Formats: sequence, structure tokens, C-alpha cells
Amino acid sequence: MSYVLQFFIAAVATVTFAILFAAPKKELVFCGVSGGLAWLVYFILYRQSGNVVLGSLVATFVLTILSRILAVARCNPATIYLVSGIFPLVPGAGIYYTAYYLISGMPAKCSAKGLETFEIALAIVFGIIFGFSIPETLFHKRKQ
Amino acid sequence: MDNTKEILTLAVEIGDAMLRCGAEIYRVEDSVIRILEAFGLDDFDAYVLSNGIFASANESREDACSVVRYVPLSATHLGKLAALNQLTRDICNHKCSVAEASERLKQCKKIPVYANAVQLLACGIGCAAFTFMFGGHLPEALYAFFVGLIEQLALFVCRKRKVSRFLTNVYVSLLISLLSLPAAAGVIPVLHDKVVIGAIMPLVPGIALTTSIRDFYNGDYLSGTIHLIDALLTALCIAVGIALPILLLRYGGNLPV
Repeated sequence: MSYVLQFFIAAVATVTFAILFAAPKKELVFCGVSGGLAWLVYFILYRQSGNVVLGSLVATFVLTILSRILAVARCNPATIYLVSGIFPLVPGAGIYYTAYYLISGMPAKCSAKGLETFEIALAIVFGIIFGFSIPETLFHKRKQ
Repeated sequence: MDNTKEILTLAVEIGDAMLRCGAEIYRVEDSVIRILEAFGLDDFDAYVLSNGIFASANESREDACSVVRYVPLSATHLGKLAALNQLTRDICNHKCSVAEASERLKQCKKIPVYANAVQLLACGIGCAAFTFMFGGHLPEALYAFFVGLIEQLALFVCRKRKVSRFLTNVYVSLLISLLSLPAAAGVIPVLHDKVVIGAIMPLVPGIALTTSIRDFYNGDYLSGTIHLIDALLTALCIAVGIALPILLLRYGGNLPV
């Protein structure tokens, strides 16, 4: 039940951001689904392993693949789904905690959080790169 | 071909519009080249950067021409991007002439953003949803909803006054931090950090980071670097904006923040 709720909330969050970036009305639902699924993958992995970086990596990978499938199916650039769906995974919390610990005179916690934020960003980088390294032709075959 | 100039201008105009609404470099370059090919040009070059386009055609012939465009970094508009992509696809399938394409390009440029009220509500709900996802509960989400509303209003004002991107980020995150101070000082019994994290999400440079990675992946190192620096500086601006009020209150007001 908690998984369904998490998916739903993440989908809503993604749709609102898609609206802020003026995504086409017809694509809003698909943006929501891709963002929701990416967050669900992250959430489950994080719950199971407690590893934020692994969760971000796999979730970004899944999101990239999903965006590319949607792009072929809906005849739109993958960017639309990728850019809206990435927001739940972007380390906004990391930026906040790093800054907060820095000004609170907790250098150890600050550098730990800073490093974690950097690692999450790297995980997102590699998630996207792995997702795009799958050859385009595979996606087009599926369409037939 | 006597209309080389016309075709080249159209192709670069389309590329320019795509770049403005947040396409990655590879897509823009690919689109420009495909459009030129579709209209029967064979001797051309196109080079795209994250804030400029350079293109030339038929260099060695009589009708040689070239176009240089400066494209400033601007707000992402996914709707325009989708429409321009469709237009490029139609041109490549020879479904429209140069004149028709220019007409459709004009219409693409006019695609509006969502109404202000819708954006306002979207920002509020988005902030609330993110607060909830990052471990907040109903009171935090409700608080973040109102912070999100005011935040979007501030963003509208900044956009109208044409405040620079970095200052916008600093001002708006300052505002978020100030608005969440009652929670930090314990006046309102909610978790301060969850509210702030949810509320800064609309400012977080997710798009710049994603575009940067894709540029690097496609071998466009210069454009990737520009977007990466954009992302890092944005993150820095948010951090400064959030930290300042807390610092001031902690040392000036002796509040347990």
C-alpha cells in the first residue's frame, strides 16, 4: 500500500513539474508514469539495501529506458519524459543538508553529505549514460 | 538551387528555437542537418553550441551563404520542443515546403506556457508532494504547499523584472528560507528541513544536469561543460540563499535554529 502511495505522489510531483516546464498536455500522464516508476524503483531499492547511490543509479537507468520507449511510441523527444521524471531523483536534499551542516559547524557531517550528493549526481550521470548506450534500433523493433 | 539562403535560414531558425527551449546539442545539430538534406542541399556544415549556431551551405558555389546565431540560455519549454520535433519530422518526410515550414515555425514559437494560475497551483502541489516523498508528513506537506505558492509568485515577479538567473535563485531560496523560519524556530511544530527540501525542488538544476550529461555523452564537451557549470552555480546559489537567514538568526537573534 505504501508503494502505491509513493508511486502516486511521485507521479503527481512529476506532472506538476512537467506543467512548470510547459510539457504538452497529451504527454502529462506519460511524464507522471515515468517519474512515478523511477521513484518507485529508487524507493524499493533504498528500502531493501539502504544504499542511496545504487538506488539512484538503477532508477535513472530505468527512467532513461522508459523515456526512450515512450519517445518512440509517442513520436516525441525522449527529453520530455526524462527531464520531468529526473526531478524526484535529483539530490535537492543533499544540497540542503550540505549547506546546513556547513553553517552549523559540523564539518564531518558536511563533507559526508557533500560526498553523498556528489555520488548521487555521478550515479545519475552513469544511469543516463548506460540508458543511452543501448542501441536505438532495439527500440524501433519493439514498435512493430 | 536559388533559394539556398532561404533554406539555410529556415533550418537555423528551427535549430535556434529548439536550442532555446532546452534541446540537447546533438538533437539540434541533427535536425539542422536533416532539414538541409531534405531540401536537397548537399554541401553544408553546421556547428551548434549551447548558446550559438554556425552554419554554412554551398561554400564553393555562387550561392554560398552562411548564418551565425547567438542563442542565450533561456527557460525550458517542452511543449515547443515537441512541436518543433514534429515539424522537423514532417520536413524530413517531405510533407511541407519551405514556405509552409516557416509558417508552422511561427506557430510553434507562439505555443503558450500554462496559465499563471495553473503554474501557481502546480508549484504548490509539487512542493507538497516532494516534501511528502522526502519523509515529511501531512503538516509539512501543507506548509510546503503554501511556501510553494509564494515561491511561484516570486518567480513570476523575477521573470517579469528580468532578474538574472543566478540572482533569481538566490532571492527565491532566501525567501523560502525566511518563510520556513517559523518552523525552524519551533513556532509552528513541523519538521523544518523537510519543508525546505520540498520547496527548493523547483529551483534545483535537474534539467541543466541532465542536458549536460547528454551533451558529454554525445561528445559535445564544450556545451556539456557550460551546462555543468550552470548546474553547479545554481546549486551554489540555492545553498547560499538557504543558509544566509539561518546564519543571521542564529548569531543575530540567538534563536535555536
